[in-house]
Amino acid sequence: MRIIVAVVALGVCGPTALALTADYTVHQKGRTFSSDITTVRKGQIIVFLNDDTVPHNIFSTSTGNEFNLGSQRPGLSTDVTFSTAGEVEIVCAIHPRMRITIVVRE
Amino acid sequence: MHLGPCPNGTKIRYIVILTTLLLVGFVRISLGAAIVGDTRSVEIVQVAPQPLDAMKAEYQRPAEIPFPKSNPYTLGKFLLGQKLFFDRRLSSRSVQSCASCHDPGLAWGDGLPVSVGNGIAKPSRRSPSILNAAWGAAYMWDGRAASLEQQTLEPIESFSEMNMPIDRLLERLNSVPEYVLFFNAAFPGEGLSRNSLAEALATYERTIVSGWAPFDAWIAGNERAITEAAKRGFVVFNTKGGCASCHEGWNFTNDGFQDIGLPGSDTGRGLLIPQVQKMDHAFKTPGLREISSRGPFMHDGSMRTLEDVIEHYNVGGVDRPSRSDLIVPLGLTEQDKLDLVAFLKCLSTEPTPTTIPAFPY
Repeated sequence: MRIIVAVVALGVCGPTALALTADYTVHQKGRTFSSDITTVRKGQIIVFLNDDTVPHNIFSTSTGNEFNLGSQRPGLSTDVTFSTAGEVEIVCAIHPRMRITIVVRE
Repeated sequence: MHLGPCPNGTKIRYIVILTTLLLVGFVRISLGAAIVGDTRSVEIVQVAPQPLDAMKAEYQRPAEIPFPKSNPYTLGKFLLGQKLFFDRRLSSRSVQSCASCHDPGLAWGDGLPVSVGNGIAKPSRRSPSILNAAWGAAYMWDGRAASLEQQTLEPIESFSEMNMPIDRLLERLNSVPEYVLFFNAAFPGEGLSRNSLAEALATYERTIVSGWAPFDAWIAGNERAITEAAKRGFVVFNTKGGCASCHEGWNFTNDGFQDIGLPGSDTGRGLLIPQVQKMDHAFKTPGLREISSRGPFMHDGSMRTLEDVIEHYNVGGVDRPSRSDLIVPLGLTEQDKLDLVAFLKCLSTEPTPTTIPAFPY
């Protein structure tokens, strides 16, 4: 039973802890990110919202925080959580002018 | 794992699911990648179809050429870059200049399906026009050059293009006294170097800007500057045709990269960004200024006419996972196609003379 409680507690506390840090939304309207640089806390959920009229494909090769959302059509929103402190350089593979740096703090 | 007595099967399933979720989470964290979570559909405010005046407002020409802070314009750099651009001594056999593949008489391209390089070698892609390169975001068909300065040296060194190692070129230019003088004047304290060579060429190339076309006159308010067919074509271009999703703005490109469904084995930007499926067979969206003089079309020169290009987009090309989500059958009518061609032709200007400089000796 103790194991059940521990596992359930982890399962419950994890999302709760994340929820305590407000989600940060990055918009992609007009072939541009809503900011050039932003700072978040490790574990904070970043919401990448494609509120543009065309698909985007954002990804990062920054060590420790690699990801690739694939083709994200307009009207889709995806959560990303960065697990390593440092600077994360994110670009849209389709639209090279779209660049954002996310500074992940401990 | 021993879980002890189980009151019922439901708890076990919860435990397994939760444990799996947590383990998966931890495993992904330990691998050092970001965690991609849920994807949801979100209600977004769709932009209502724009009235014609609002569409036209998107196509205003810029007031000035942008030069980077790292390489600002000077007359000395421009004049030197102009001499270098047209000088065949930049190629190993002194038979090609930059202008051989970027001919001002052919809208700064070469009019060939695939350009002819060193020793009649044929690079795998066609020579793109360098019109309006000052506004580019990434250079080469696959975007591998991040700046015009970086781009300018690559064709010089490429075996299948000019085949001239930069070190050898610097020696050759250094043996031409007037070039030494020009470099010293344009780059005080630096003189002739790999960097100054690139900066001079890039400075000149940034001044190559498409002229005032009938389309611009129409945008500026002259209703008689283009035909009614061209005006209808402009609307198709921005609506039903979906062309403006990529060919947007005054230069008719957002410098994006798309797989438009052309057959062929060239994987384009996929070689640079293999982890992104949509970059497989993706190439840079070219601008459309002077498009009537820029055939044959596409990165491989595979389409001879504008009509061929429009038909390709109307059908949608090769359906494969990498193909852009924007490439879908369009259902254009014959009238739509004629109107689109009429519109595209009004992006061209009357030919104007280009100054060919005297070469240093």
